[in-house]
This record gives sequence, structure tokens and C-alpha cells, in this order.
Amino acid sequence: MTGYVLRRAALSVGVFVVMAVLTYLGVAALPGDACTALLGRFATTEKLAQCRADNGLDAPVLQQLGDWVAGLLRGDLGYSVKRGAPVGELMAPRIRNAMLLAGVASLLAFPAAIAVGLATGRREQSKVSRTVDTAALVAMTLPEFVTASVLWLVLSVWLPILPAVTVVSSDDSIIDLLPNVWLPAITLAVLVFAHVMRSMRASVSATSRRPFADAARLRGVAEATVVRRHILPAALPPTVNVVAVTAAWLLTGTFVVEVVFNYPGLGRLAVDAIADRDTDLIVALTLLGLAVYITASFLADAVIRLLDPRVRAGVGRS
Amino acid sequence: MAAVLIVGAALAGCGGGDSGTKGVLRVAYFAASGAETMDPYDGNRFWPTINMVFDRLIGVDKDFTPIPELATTWEPNADLTEWTITLRDEVTFHDGSTFDSADAVYSIDRMIDPEFDSPVRAVLGIITKAEAIDPLTVKLTLASGEADLPVLLADYRALMTPEGSQDTVGTNPIGTGPFKMEKLDAQGTTVLVANEQYFFGAPKVARIEMPNIADAAAATQALSAGQVDLMLTIDAKSEALFGDSSKFTVQRITSGDWNAIDFRVDQKPYDDPKVRKALRIAADRQALTDLVLGPGGGVPACDTPVWSGDPYRWDGDCPQDIEGAKQLLAEAGYPDGIDIEIFTSDVEEHMVELVEAYQEQVKAAGIRVTLTMTDASAYWDNVWMLEPAFVDSWGQRPAAQVLNEVFRSTATWNPTGLADPELDAMLDDARSTLDAAQRTEKYRAVQEYLFENTASFVPYHKTLVRAMSANVKGLEPVVIDAVRWEKIEVG
Repeated sequence: MTGYVLRRAALSVGVFVVMAVLTYLGVAALPGDACTALLGRFATTEKLAQCRADNGLDAPVLQQLGDWVAGLLRGDLGYSVKRGAPVGELMAPRIRNAMLLAGVASLLAFPAAIAVGLATGRREQSKVSRTVDTAALVAMTLPEFVTASVLWLVLSVWLPILPAVTVVSSDDSIIDLLPNVWLPAITLAVLVFAHVMRSMRASVSATSRRPFADAARLRGVAEATVVRRHILPAALPPTVNVVAVTAAWLLTGTFVVEVVFNYPGLGRLAVDAIADRDTDLIVALTLLGLAVYITASFLADAVIRLLDPRVRAGVGRS
Repeated sequence: MAAVLIVGAALAGCGGGDSGTKGVLRVAYFAASGAETMDPYDGNRFWPTINMVFDRLIGVDKDFTPIPELATTWEPNADLTEWTITLRDEVTFHDGSTFDSADAVYSIDRMIDPEFDSPVRAVLGIITKAEAIDPLTVKLTLASGEADLPVLLADYRALMTPEGSQDTVGTNPIGTGPFKMEKLDAQGTTVLVANEQYFFGAPKVARIEMPNIADAAAATQALSAGQVDLMLTIDAKSEALFGDSSKFTVQRITSGDWNAIDFRVDQKPYDDPKVRKALRIAADRQALTDLVLGPGGGVPACDTPVWSGDPYRWDGDCPQDIEGAKQLLAEAGYPDGIDIEIFTSDVEEHMVELVEAYQEQVKAAGIRVTLTMTDASAYWDNVWMLEPAFVDSWGQRPAAQVLNEVFRSTATWNPTGLADPELDAMLDDARSTLDAAQRTEKYRAVQEYLFENTASFVPYHKTLVRAMSANVKGLEPVVIDAVRWEKIEVG
């Protein structure tokens, strides 16, 4: 196990370095830079030169990257030229908000999705099961902004019980932010529920028909025990992977929902940072996203090892 | 999406959301850049908040006539090169200090400082010297005679800041205006409170809150659901969401914002005035305006940057002339028509639609247009003023400013590169004419001359649409320069 963790960690460091270099070079290859974004259309050549000198943008790209890495080792994530603030300061409240949104959406979606997936997967051909599956397909196919508009219409216009968009600052207290998190969280939860539920349903359905489940039933084992002891441990691992990737997406990839509801999360910050050529911020956000995905996949593997004795014993490896 | 929103707005109108707390005006601030500063002379000024906190020397009324703000009178010398300005007495800044000529001179010096290079310099750079004669008198010396200095001083950014405030005004703005800054957070919610001592009378609302809303559709949702009271501009296509509801008021405001297709005169084939004129007269401006901006979304123009609300506006007649265009092209050596490439980008709305509509219209004259899309982030740096033909966009400016800032030979931002000494002489003559009627005639002649010679195809000025909750009163349907924030009520 220790060796496995060390190998994964070493690989992750390698991926981080490659991503940082690629992101830095990628931003440098885009037309314009942070100073053109800051000073805008009517910037004079002298003012641009001054801005670039002040912010170290006149140095070669690799030197800028080196400086950034040196700063990172001191715990300094860099500086946003456009926003005139340290990257760490800009990201901290957004990370908190993203965690709040992802947390609420996860709580709404994951337990219910697994329960419904389990229930419907065992009776795949029943009317209820097929209806639920069709509804999930529709929910998955609808673009997020359509789901968002319908929820907005129902929950903040017809029965005005939730604020339509977030009108508090990104660094206001969680208490102030909480009423604003529901509409985006429900929108995301609908989508996530559909994905995870269908994965779980398919997995349970396949497992239920496997010989070991039938063998247990023939031995006279109660159905509840068959589900708990035989079906669930075999059906959960694929869903755990889906849950992990989805949770990572909830933390970092919710741009559309953030825009529709004006929610101050990480997605909007990332898209704005690219438009602003805010290199330090872009790289920091990219690496954060990478860290989230690596952690999620690592946790998923760990959970699967706990659930599935074959993986623990290395039987599954071939 | 639009259908859903329309139903939503209609239902909100039938008794949905709560529309505002008494005494607080909530204005949607659209798409904060993160670089906002309260320094009114900085390119990243936080608009329209600067106009709530600071005052100008001279304002404008609905007809764009200069009216007193912090100045009470202004008098030129005979050749219009020196202006003596009397300041309002007993005006105090929000911190209790007195506003006087030292503050006015300090403010103007910052606006025209070549090193600081404020965007306001493009408007007021004609001022060479500002002097305090006594605490309530300022003398401005100009590089050349300018009859419209009061209109130029009414620029929405020509605001008065306290002496010595350069390093603090951006984050801790102290003005004389109707509202005081309480919490400055352009990317979150900015809060201003009423200045009860305001010299035009205490404001009618106790507070203004300005939440930043990143997306136009989200801002529309917020207004529908009663989370904000006022959107200063909405997309003309969203007007239907609010137009039919008794819960909302929609204002259409003729403005001076314009788009152009500019042709570089230092590049072939646009060095030939005949080609340029053919390219301009081949378009049907009324149809183009309706197509690009929506019906009633703008006022057609005959290549004049002077908008319909400006007293100097020339209303020429410039119908589509396909045969005339063909003939001009033949005379210029293109009897079989011409192929041109126009660069554009979605950096601002309407800039792509303009080329698409133009492309269709001019086909009949044998003008074959290739539309080239470019990256929005780098448009102003890599395309604008550099490619042979490109789309341009400008905000409203008074005639005296826009003609000198964009069309004069020596203008820094002359996008077509057209250098015409005759035009420059006409502009000099117009701006230094004391008699208003004669001056108007001369400015109109300048625009008529432009229509014959210019390399900028200016098809329209835009009409802005403003939407607000029906309980917002006292906001006149005028361009933002003339809005009196202290007169707006919510109740």
C-alpha cells in the first residue's frame, strides 16, 4: 500500500509540473497579455511598456514561470495584474464558496441517486424503474441553463421562496451566502443525480443477474442480505468512480450555473482569468483543479479497495 | 430560454416578487472587470458610481445644454482661448472640507497631465493651463479657441476631486456628490449612502446598493424577481420581457453610441476615395439599423459620428445607391466588382451582425465581402486600426470632441489614418466661431464634407433601453450624462 501511495504521489508531482509549464506556455501563446487586458483599448505604447516592466511581463516566459515556482515554494501563488491583488487572496473566498456549492449539491444528489439506483436497478423492467430512467435521461440531456431557468421560474418567480441570483459579495459570511446557494445547488443536483443514479442502476442490474447472486439466493439467503453482502459490494465500485469524478467537477467545472445564478465560485473566476490573461491566477486555478481530480480519484481507489476484497488482494490485477 | 423568461416576467408582473425596500435603490452593475477604481480619470473608472460620488463643474440638461453644477458661471474672452469660471460657494466634500479653486485646478491638472495620460485628456487636452485666481475663480487657458468648452467640461469623467487625492481617491473616494461611498466592492456589492448636505438638495433615497451581476440574462432574472430595481441598459432584444408588465418601466433613450466599418486609407484599395464612397453608398442604412439593432433600436446616420441629440447633428439624406456604387467602382478600375475582407470580433455586441448584414446588402453592387472573425481579447491591440478594414465601436461624445478625437488628421485614435488638412481647417474654424448659429452651420458643413470623403462607414447611432421596477420614480429618460441621481425615488 505504501509503495502504491508513493508511486501515485510521484506521478502526481510529475503531472503538476507538466501542467504548470503547459499552462504557462499556453497563456503566453495567446494574443495579448495582462497589461493589454488591464489598460484596454486606448493604452499607449509607453503605458503598456511601463505596466509590463512593473509586473515582470517583459521577462522571458520560462523565467516568469521559474519566478512563479520559486514563489510557490514560499507559499506565494502570485499576483493578479488585472485585479491588483494576490492570487491566494482572490482564490480563498471562491474556494470556500465552491466547496459550499459542491457540498450542498452532493448532499442533495449522491445519497438519493445511490438509493434510487439500487432500488430501480433490481427491478429494471418495472414501470416505475423505466419511468425514473427516462426522467433521468431527460434531465441529463437538458442543457444546464434550461434546467436553471425552469427552477428559477418556479422557485423564485412563481413561488418566490429563493433568491433569483446571488447579490452578496464573494467574501460575505456563509450565513449571507447560504440562501443563494440553493438554486445553483439544485440545478447541479438534478444533473448529478441523473448521472450517478443511471450508473448505479446499470451496475446493480448487471450484478443482480450475476451467477454469485443467484447462487446466494439458491442457498436460501434472504434477499436483503443478498443485496447487502453480494450485490452492493460488487455494484458500488463503478459508481464510486462516477461519484468521485462528478464531485471533482462540482468543485471546479460549474461555470454555466455560476453565470446563470451569478454565484461567485471558481468557474467564473477561471473563465475571467483567461479573458484577462491573468497568468498566475490561471496556473493556480489549473493546478487546483488538477489537485481536486487527483485527490478525488485517489479517494475513489481507496474506497474501492475497502469495498472490494479482490482489489485489496490484487486478484483483479492482470 | 427567451420564451421561459418572457413567461417568467409576465408572471412576476401578476403578483410575484417583492419589488424593493423603501429608501434603497438597487442598481445592477454589469460584469465587473475586477480592475475598477474610483479615480474618475483612470481608464478603469468605476462607472456609474463615480457620478454618484463626484460632481462636474458643468453638467448638461436633457437637450445637452450646459447647466451649472460646481461652477455657477463661465465666460470666455473674445477669441475663446481663455475661460473664467466662477465656483459655487459653500460646497463641502464628504469629509467636511471646503471645495474651492485649488481643488478644481488640481483636478484639471490631473485630467490633462501627459504623464498620467488620462482618457479625459482626449476631451480636455485643449486646456493648457488651469489657474486659481481667487478661492472661487478659476481661469482656463486653451491651446486654441473652443466655443464648446462648457460641453467638453460636462464629460461624465471630468469630475472634481480633492486637492492631493491622487493616491487615495481610487479606494477612498471623497467627493461633493449626492452619495457617499460606504463600501466599495465592484465585484461584490457596492454600497453608497445619501449625502444629506448635497448642494442640490438631499437625495430621495437613503442608500444605493450596486450588486455586480456578471451576465446580462442573470441581471434580467434579478430584475424580474425583484432583487434589483434598475438596469441602466438592457439588451434591446430583452425589452419584451419588461415592456408589457405594469410592474416595470422601460425607457428608450436615443444615444450617441455608434459602430463603424473603417477602411485604412494607407492600404489598397481604400486609398481611392471613389472606392470608399462606393462601399458606403451601397448600403441601406435604415434596413441595416433595423437588422442589426432590432426595429427602433437605432437612428440611421450618414457617416456622421454626431448623434441625433447633438445640436450640431447634420441630418443628410443617403439612400442606398447600387447603381452609383457600381459606377464609382468602374471608374476606380473595378468594372467587375470588388473583393474585400472585413475583420471583426464579438468583443462588443453588434460588431459581427453589422458585417453580416452589410455583406448581404452590398452584394448587388458587386462588392463581395469576406468576414474574418478574430479573437475578442486581442481585438483592440492586434486588429483595430491595423487591418485594412475592420469594425469599430465608440461611445457617445459631443460633436466638438468626437470630430477632433477620431477624425482630425493628428488625432491619436484616427482609425482610418485619413489626414485631410481641409477637414482640420474646417474644424478649427467651427470650434472658434463665437456665434452659435454660425457655428452650427459650420459643424454641419463638416459632416456633409465627411460624407463625401470619409473612410468610416457609420450607419447608425444606437438607442439604449433601460428597465426598472415601476416603483422607481424621478429617473428621466435621458442619457447617463444628464441623470440626476439625487432625484431618483423608490416607493
